[in-house]
Amino acid sequence: MNVRLLGLGEIPPALAEAVLAALPRPFAGGEVASLPASFEHCYDRTRAQVDAACLIEHVPGPEPGWSNLALTGADLFMPALTYVFGISHLGGRRGIVSWFRLHPEAEDAATQMRFLRRITTEAVHELGHGLGLVHCVVPDCAMHRSLWPEGVDLKRPEYCPACLTSLEERCR
Amino acid sequence: MTAPVRILVVDDEPHVRNSLAAWFREDGYDVSVAESGRDALATLAREGTNILLVDIKMPGMDGLELQRKVRELAPDATVIIMTAYASVETAVQALKEGAYDYIVKPFDPEAVSRLVRKAAERYSLLAENRALRERLADASPALVTSGSPAMARVIELVDQVAPTDTNVLITGESGTGKELVAHLMHARSTRRFGPFVVENCGALAEGVLESELFGHERGAFTGAVGRHRGKLEMADEGTLFLDEIGDVPSRVQVDLLRVLQERTLKRVGGNETIRVDFRLVTATHRDLEAEVAAGRFRDDFFFRINVFQIALPPLRERTEDIPALAEHFLARFATQMNRRIAGFAPGAMDALLAYPWPGNVRELANAIERAMVLCRGDRIEASHFPFGAPPVAADRSLVAVEAAHIRQVLAACSFNVAQAARELDIDRVTLYNKMKKYGIERP
Repeated sequence: MNVRLLGLGEIPPALAEAVLAALPRPFAGGEVASLPASFEHCYDRTRAQVDAACLIEHVPGPEPGWSNLALTGADLFMPALTYVFGISHLGGRRGIVSWFRLHPEAEDAATQMRFLRRITTEAVHELGHGLGLVHCVVPDCAMHRSLWPEGVDLKRPEYCPACLTSLEERCR
Repeated sequence: MTAPVRILVVDDEPHVRNSLAAWFREDGYDVSVAESGRDALATLAREGTNILLVDIKMPGMDGLELQRKVRELAPDATVIIMTAYASVETAVQALKEGAYDYIVKPFDPEAVSRLVRKAAERYSLLAENRALRERLADASPALVTSGSPAMARVIELVDQVAPTDTNVLITGESGTGKELVAHLMHARSTRRFGPFVVENCGALAEGVLESELFGHERGAFTGAVGRHRGKLEMADEGTLFLDEIGDVPSRVQVDLLRVLQERTLKRVGGNETIRVDFRLVTATHRDLEAEVAAGRFRDDFFFRINVFQIALPPLRERTEDIPALAEHFLARFATQMNRRIAGFAPGAMDALLAYPWPGNVRELANAIERAMVLCRGDRIEASHFPFGAPPVAADRSLVAVEAAHIRQVLAACSFNVAQAARELDIDRVTLYNKMKKYGIERP
């Protein structure tokens, strides 16, 4: 399975390349591209956030053997929820990850490493949903539900053996 | 595997109900949506929803009215009210009328996830309790309301040992209700909200049994395509019931003994040490002490599982329970088969009392089910039972009637020849001679 990382708005090129390089099995490789779509009409002025359910409709459907994942710095919400880190079409091989709320407090080198790890972990998480995985009870599996940034730090940017087995069967 | 919890999101705003549905599907819930109260009731009737997230302000039927109707249709369903800030007072009203909780839009993701997880756990507990109640209600005539001193003693022992974590061995012939006693013990223990996991050790080959009990890792053996949790792991915080423990091979006995001593295990083909905390109840129809003496069962394992023993009496030793049991099974099968049968003809009950019941309560249940299938009138007759019609119907000779009568009396006395001779008002030698003449042997 290959991954196309799509920049939604401005995205540091090194960031996307680093996430792509860190993706675990069963993802073999992929490419980085940008998504020219404007998401002005998905922006909610009263909440000062972007509607993730609206935005994901602008992520193109992937070709066979690919998953499309958009990366954005916008603050995402879903209509009933105050915020989300990302969104996916379950089994639809497309999703979005926002790094808006994943930033650590400080700006030193160590926290930058942690920031990159968080984005990678959430990218692995949304890619798993895109391939049909639901949340996992294993606390350090990437598919475990995280509801706050520090919760993401408790996970690894990898799948537990059960999720990986399930993914590999889905990729066949 | 248990069925996923079913959630129904009821909201007239499509983006709210659809985004919530997507959110909960990622948790593995089975989620449906409804745009109105009427639509929700139709879905509830069709799918049997467990948890409803209901918007309080909807055109037509509002959330409060929907909640009242849900209470009538599905009292076990959990209703969570969704409200905007302005309608919190109405949400409080919903709580007074039995809603589980309310949550204000837009929801904090952590709060809504925690709330629904708690509701799902509550649903699982309710379902477990209901299953246990049904199981015990079904078993109650056989176990709880039995009038015989022997069964009263069994129930007393269960009550004494249930609150402890002591290993219990239940002995008794096939069909005496060993699993039901184990279940009763679980239901009356502090582990009753944990799982009750059953494994019949007599039905499986050694390798399969080992894998069933201890689980295996992927690739542990040919055909192990994925990780498999064993029954010992699944029983964590609950009760593990191992039936036919006398059939467990010696090597597996050693492995089980180690788990009982160390409270940890490793799956077949795995290196990870897993902690387990379960209460062990075992059962057998064999004489394990004789098996130990003969070297066919490990003594160290026997001593470990036989801390507290409960012996279930065979049905022939508690014939006073037969009428109550027979009436219970008659009522149960009448409901299942939608039949109206008034009861047993006098000869039928005599036949039930006379028969020795080698298959015990299970055989009695089967005999009554069969009789109800054959019965065309409003009463069960003796001729409807598989152990035969009264011999007078087939052969009216004095010899045949005498042989049948002797058989009946012997069965009623559990083949105690001295007691049967007294009943028949003849001496024992005469009875032995007649038994020999008619070919009557102890079953």
